[in-house]
Parts: sequence; structure tokens; C-alpha cells
Amino acid sequence: MGITEKINDLRDIKSWHGEMPVQYLYTYGIAGEKLFRAIKDEKKFLATKCPDCNFVYLPPRIYCQECFTNLENSWREVENKGEVHSFTIVYLDIENKPLDVPEVIALIRIKGTNGGFIHKLGEINPEKVNIGLEVKAVFKEKREGNILDIQYFKPV
Amino acid sequence: MRKVAVVGAGLTKFVRRSLETGKELSYEASKMALDSCGLTLKDIDCVVFGSAPDAFDGMHMKGEYMLDGSGGFRKPYMRSYVGGGTGVFTPIQGWYHIASGLFDSCLVVCEEKMSTLRPHPQGAFLTIFDHTLERPLEPNLLWIFALEMNRYMHEHGLSKKDIALVSVKNKKNALDHPCALLAQEITVEDVLNSEVLAWPVQRLDVSPITDGAGALVLVSEEKAKQITDKPVWIEGVGWNLETSYWTNRDLYYPKQVEYAARMAYEMAGIKDPRKEINIVEPYDPFDYKELHHLEGLLFCKKGEAPKLTREGVTKRDGDLPVCPSGGLLGVGNPIAAAGLMKICEIFWQLRGEAGARQVPGTPKRGLAQAWGDLMQVGTVIILGR
Repeated sequence: MGITEKINDLRDIKSWHGEMPVQYLYTYGIAGEKLFRAIKDEKKFLATKCPDCNFVYLPPRIYCQECFTNLENSWREVENKGEVHSFTIVYLDIENKPLDVPEVIALIRIKGTNGGFIHKLGEINPEKVNIGLEVKAVFKEKREGNILDIQYFKPV
Repeated sequence: MRKVAVVGAGLTKFVRRSLETGKELSYEASKMALDSCGLTLKDIDCVVFGSAPDAFDGMHMKGEYMLDGSGGFRKPYMRSYVGGGTGVFTPIQGWYHIASGLFDSCLVVCEEKMSTLRPHPQGAFLTIFDHTLERPLEPNLLWIFALEMNRYMHEHGLSKKDIALVSVKNKKNALDHPCALLAQEITVEDVLNSEVLAWPVQRLDVSPITDGAGALVLVSEEKAKQITDKPVWIEGVGWNLETSYWTNRDLYYPKQVEYAARMAYEMAGIKDPRKEINIVEPYDPFDYKELHHLEGLLFCKKGEAPKLTREGVTKRDGDLPVCPSGGLLGVGNPIAAAGLMKICEIFWQLRGEAGARQVPGTPKRGLAQAWGDLMQVGTVIILGR
């Protein structure tokens, strides 16, 4: 093995930058299109339910992962409320700088579904968050049809 | 090794840009394949999923990400990837899952959604080139094909016209394929007058980016007999890799394809492929590639594939139908799904289910082949009744 430099302090490691100059433009898909249109136009959450497995998909899917039943005609509105299934409090940003206000990120299980969303919690003191806390979605005023149309979830 | 049969197949439409996500495309093809043989996901022991680079989707570990759409949820599952060769290699992996005796049924799914990439999937290919020797020259994928095509023409004294006939034939064949994106009746002149991309490659010599998915159901002999009276057997498989240095390859002849074919012929007990195989679906992302591959597959001597084409031998109603589906040039080129489309075609042809595309007679045996990786893998499957 050829060694061109010896580094004792890992912070001095040098690298060679290459890049892959591409960008991505994703489609929402059949299920995603419905979900985000309902959020944007009606501030509603839509889920699909497998009639055979009784599993309620949120985010919605057009098929049951268990039995492959087609769910394209099995849509239902669900509440925009749920409970904190687990959470973390984030203190540093991606560059390791302390955040002015710590952020609370939670897995929120939406009522009446077997799923939910990963999202931020707001209007709450991070020290007051607990597993099981009941929360509801706060939607943005100007919505564009994406996951950030939900501003955050706040305590009920 | 145990016998393995193909008993079901499904294919989505090949389109320029689908609303469906990759998972949804995979689901559509998988469900079609299962429905076609009356099985459900519960009958499937394991799943093999094939798709080309993660960079196409900008989704690292995309095989794992696609899991539920391809029926792999809570099952033994693996992702298969050998670049352009994936569509034929994925069923080979499905085959050894069953041939080994480990499983009795396997769902094989191949999916590609190329439209996501901007400005063009070419961007994802820039990093397949050697970072020291080639990237500083700012190469793109067409360079390789253009150099190969030129050398192939030079070696055998071929004209562009000889090669354009393949594009004309395949795009016409695709008129009868319900999934086709590029079906059209065109002339040799149209090909020769199309935009020059990288000489000698012109616009109509090459298949464009496409979205689509395909799926197959593979089962053991015992299961096959319970499911259908028309099983199609996997008689031989082969794959082989040539050096990754272009500088040390024969550009005019795909040796890796020959070695892959010899492996498959030996397994299938085939001595003379031209006499013993009735239909061929060689990999045709470019028109000259069909010719290149027919020679590598030993269907004729080096340099003689253009003559077979000129004489109509490779037409759908010719003595040796080649790409009766319409191939990648006619049906489209969603990388992994395109290779699998070729297996689907042989399956339907051998069962007499190819509709308007059905070749005359009652073909007994067909071969599908793909090619890819760093332009150096050959993958071959032989199917028989």
C-alpha cells in the first residue's frame, strides 16, 4: 500500500472532491398525489384501508404490503390528531452549531391508522414533551402540496 | 440442481414519465404476474428485485426502499444489480434460489424510473468512468457506444445503412406491443437523417430513457405442475464479465456475451444455437448492439449479423425471429425492466400468448440476453417448453 501522507490528527485529513451533477424531480405517485392534494386543498389527511387485513395505511399506499389487495378504491379521511409515539430533542444543527431554540422531532401516530408522520412539534416547551402526548396538526396558511404544509403538531 | 419453471409474467406500459412511483410501478407489474398464474403474495417464498443505479432515483439503498411494492415485505428478499444486464440477471438469481432447493417459489421484479433525473440520466453515468484516466476528459456514455459501433463497422466493412435496418425492424415490431413507447414505421432514411449525437450514433440508433416495470413468477417443478399445463422451463443460464478497461477490450466483438452464452448452452445441452433456438431477444439499446450480440451469442459468424438482417431472416416471420417484441428500440428502455421485458416476450411466445406478435410455427426454445455493468457484463437465459 502506498502512503503519500501521514496524518496524526484526524481533523487534518484531506479529501478530493468529485461531484455527480444531477438533480431529481420526483412524482408523488398515485397515492401521494391524493394525500398532498387533500392536505393542500382541504387540510385533511387521507388514508387507505385494506379490507382483508384491516390495516390502515398512512402515508397511504395503493396496495396492501401484506396481501397485495389493490386499495385504490379504499380511501378514507382520518383525523388530523394523534399521539407522540416517540420523540427526540435536537440541540445542534447539521454543522454542529447550537440551535437557538432546540427542535422537537416526533413520530406521531395518527388516530384510526396504523401509521402517521415524522414531524416537528411546536407551541410546546421541549421539557414538557412526553410519550403519549396528544397532538394535532397545524397547517400553513399558504400551502403548496408538500409535507411542509403541515407546519408542526401542537398539544391538543 | 432442480428444474425451475416460469409460470407467470406481468409488464407495465413503458412511458416517458409515469405518475406512479417506482414502488407503484413495481406493484402493478408484480400483481399482474401473480394474477396471470392465479397465485397470491402468500404463495411466494422469496423475492428478488432488480433495478439499475441508486443514482437514478437519488435514493441510496433503493432496493430496500422498493421492498413493499415488489412484494418483499417480511420475506427473504434481495436486490440484484449488474447495470444494463440486470433485467436478465435478476431472473438468474431467482432461478438459483429455487434450483438450489432453498425455495419453491420466487417473485422476480425489475423496475426502472429514469424520468426523475434532471437534466438527464446521463449525469448519473458520469461517475462510471475512471476518475484519473477518463473523467478529466468529461466523457459521456455515448462515447463508448460510438467507439464500439465505429470499430464494428470498420472491422467488417459495414455501412450505417446495414445497421439502421435493425432500428427500422424493431420499431415496426413494437407496433404490436401494448406496452410500447417507441413503435413506429420508419425508413432507413429516417435513421440516417436523424440528429447526430456522437458519430456514428444518431438519434434513431438509440433508445431513450423510459419508466416501467416487469415481473415473473418462478416455481419448482412440483409446483409448476399444480399451477399450469404450460410451464416454460429455464433450461440454461450464463453470465460473464470482461475487463473494465475499455483499452484492453475488443470493441468490435462482445466476448463476455460469448462466454455467458457458452455457459448457458452447455447447461441446456445446446450444440448449435442457430438450429436449436427458435427466437432470440438480444439486448438492443442501440441498433448495432443487436448485431453485435447476435454474433456474440454465436448465431452467426463475426460480421454476418447484418446479412441476416438484410435478408429478412431476423424479421418476426423470418427463419430466426430477433426481437419480435420490438426490443428496447421499439418498446423502450427502462434499464432493468427492459431486460426483463425480453424474458416476458420469450415466455409469451413459447406459450403462444404473444397475440399479434406471435411468431409463426410453434417455437420450442428462446433466448434472452442483456449486457451492461461497466459495459462489460453479458447475461443470458434460455427458456424452453
